[in-house]
Amino acid sequence: MRFLLHALLGLSLVLPVMVSAADNDEAVKMLERMTEAAKTLTYEGVFAYQSGKNMQSIRIYHRADARGELERLISLNGAAREVIRSNDMVTCINPEGKQVNVSRRPLGRGFPSDLPRRLNSATPFYDVNLGETDRIAGRKAHELVITPEDEYRYGYRLWVDAETYLLLKSELVGSDGEVLETFTFSSINTDVHIPEHKFKPQMSGEEMTWHRSEPEQPLNTANLSQEHHWRPAWLPEGFSQVAYQTRLRANNGADVEQRVYSDGLSSVSVFIEKIRARHSHLRGGSHVGAINAFGTIMQAHFVTVVGEVPAVTVEKIGNSISFADAQQ
Amino acid sequence: MTAKQHELLSAFVDGELNSQELDELLSLMSTDDNAKADYQRYQLSSDVLKGYTNRSQPVDLTARISTALADEPVHQLAEQQTRKASVISLPDWFWKQTAGLAAAASIGALAVVGVFNQPQTTATPELAQVEQVQTQTAVAASPNRWTVGEQEVEDRLNNYLVDHNEYAGASGLFSYARVVSYGEE
Repeated sequence: MRFLLHALLGLSLVLPVMVSAADNDEAVKMLERMTEAAKTLTYEGVFAYQSGKNMQSIRIYHRADARGELERLISLNGAAREVIRSNDMVTCINPEGKQVNVSRRPLGRGFPSDLPRRLNSATPFYDVNLGETDRIAGRKAHELVITPEDEYRYGYRLWVDAETYLLLKSELVGSDGEVLETFTFSSINTDVHIPEHKFKPQMSGEEMTWHRSEPEQPLNTANLSQEHHWRPAWLPEGFSQVAYQTRLRANNGADVEQRVYSDGLSSVSVFIEKIRARHSHLRGGSHVGAINAFGTIMQAHFVTVVGEVPAVTVEKIGNSISFADAQQ
Repeated sequence: MTAKQHELLSAFVDGELNSQELDELLSLMSTDDNAKADYQRYQLSSDVLKGYTNRSQPVDLTARISTALADEPVHQLAEQQTRKASVISLPDWFWKQTAGLAAAASIGALAVVGVFNQPQTTATPELAQVEQVQTQTAVAASPNRWTVGEQEVEDRLNNYLVDHNEYAGASGLFSYARVVSYGEE
């Protein structure tokens, strides 16, 4: 009897901990499935993007099959801006400026296949929990509440389709609980065949100015030797480099180096661009939506930090970047 | 005078300044007497070439623009919903006059000589007021674009935005919405 009492007492102490761990595991699993679903499902829908007082409606087509992924986003209000992503290209069409920007995508998908590991590495820096069940775009959705442990990253509230695990709604939350950005599907169809012509841009390309930026040959040893010159001395805890690439910028032929640092959920890119002529650059901070940028000029290079993190984070990273001479 | 300031000045005479650049020019004129003197000589030369010779004193458009801006607080407040409305809504006479000067600017012989050392960021009281209104505007409407004045810088940041989006984390499939809705208010 006494033994039973002890056992019960012991269980009652352990149980809450186990439940919370299981809750967290389930939430992280859901995150993984959500990321997977966005790549492997074919879907068509309209979602709203709200940032501050701005509200945009955007149509999205996404097709995944044996040929790979194809995606097209088109703005439904104002200028009919479009982004078309194929397996290896990103094409941005700006009908107002009559400009088309094409850039080659890095090998593979931006967020690569080691996502589960990286999501797990993110969990010390976020509190990931299952929230209420809700209804978004006529579908049952599970809510995930992701709260950062420090002030260097934003929080997220994600609503994931109970059936397909597709992300139906996403909120980016600032440190004071303010919602900085919201994306919400108003209608979505995941059981659909999307014909080829839906992925063709509305504009004919004839009147447009085309800019292409190409990745440099990886065998360019001059650049490889430069690779380790630029270093941020400070990154938020848990951030590590997840990608590195160099490109030649189309319109001026400048070398641009991009390093991506991530904690598994939030990410920051550091861009280093050699100044080719007399040009001006962002000095200090700026933002669009919840994306913050911090710019400075160093050793005849434009140094820019861009990421969906608070302004203080890009600024701290930007100020900590230094150029180490190869001779040293 | 830096190349940039020179560009600014000739663009002003061409009537091609955007509101941000106009801010910069006004700020420069109001904080640097040398710049102002050079500008006035430039303006006078233009006037002479265009046949506007009945003026014995150089005309200072920038001062009048600054005054016009400072004198329109009610108008500015009413226009708060539009970004930089306070600067865009210049009086008609300004546009007529600057348009008239456009031809003069294309004559390359009008060299402006001067040394400008002062930073352009110092603001006079009038300009401070304009800036204040703009800050409020930014909070009220916060247009969905980088808060930088120059097209070149904006384009560069947009390129970066696209490149970064490939790695944008938890917003996942929505992330390119930021590119697609860029610049819409």
